[in-house]
Amino acid sequence: MANATVVDGVSRLLRFKLQSWNAFAPGLESHHAWREWLLHPSELPLELGKTSLKQIPPMLRRRFTPLGRCAAGAALPVLSDIDAIPGVFASRHGDTPLTLSLLEGIANGESMSPTGFSLAVHNALSGLLSIARKDVSEVTAIAATENLIPNALIEAATQLQERPRVLCVIYDVPLPELYQAYSDSVDFPCAVAMILTLDEGDDFVIQRENSRNDTTHLDDFTGLLRILSGLEASASFVSDSSGWRVSRG
Amino acid sequence: MSNLQLEIKQMIIEILDLEDIEPDEIIDDEPLFVDGLGLDSIDALEIGLALQKRYGIKLKADSEDTREHFASVNALAVLIESQRTS
Repeated sequence: MANATVVDGVSRLLRFKLQSWNAFAPGLESHHAWREWLLHPSELPLELGKTSLKQIPPMLRRRFTPLGRCAAGAALPVLSDIDAIPGVFASRHGDTPLTLSLLEGIANGESMSPTGFSLAVHNALSGLLSIARKDVSEVTAIAATENLIPNALIEAATQLQERPRVLCVIYDVPLPELYQAYSDSVDFPCAVAMILTLDEGDDFVIQRENSRNDTTHLDDFTGLLRILSGLEASASFVSDSSGWRVSRG
Repeated sequence: MSNLQLEIKQMIIEILDLEDIEPDEIIDDEPLFVDGLGLDSIDALEIGLALQKRYGIKLKADSEDTREHFASVNALAVLIESQRTS
């Protein structure tokens, strides 16, 4: 691999360049707003407010659920000058609010909505964006129980071996209350979109990290956004089974 | 516009999340799919389900008749009327 350092036959570093990024959460839609919030965190609404998604034709816009509007709200601004780009779409829980509503319908003996069913698959959002943007580039939809952010970045950075630039979108909404006892999830709807390239933008490195970091463990989205906003040089993403560090290189 | 036509338009708006569209913007004899209103194949399935739930009409997904029934609001009205009288 051209842009990885190989030691003892094992790649220990994965390098990429970040051309642009954008993040979206209720009330936080600009680099400036994110930086201010990261410096002075306050509680954010659990619900996504009105999102315009003006770039999407109305007949398609009606298909975007809150999770989709959150992810599209992050991704569309970084895609405005790009006609075609492969994409990695990563969400830990996917559209669990939608899936739960379908399950409740089944439990009540109702026929399932074909629209709801079609939107409940993990790659539905990437498909909608592909139709809306008329971009037939390949997409990869991933989920990860642990370390979603480094795994999404590793997938995107690996695809740079074959493509000059790759879109990476990471997004989640809070789990419905019914599920909250069984798993953790984000505190508020949140999405980050990044354009990774081989040769244009800020240098980043992903590497293995073996030991648990001593510093206070921030939730993963906040850790990533602190690096993107230039407040930290690196962030570690450590679970019981694996650890990664993402750094400005 | 007859009551049945209005009822069909309100059903279409409700089940297909077309909140921004008013019933009188849907033209009785214009195509519902692709041209005209611009609905797609998932919308067709959704309308098929609604016809079954509300009017007890069962349609075969791929028959030529179904295409004709789904051509416009007027065609859907003829289908529902025929079901009521049969």
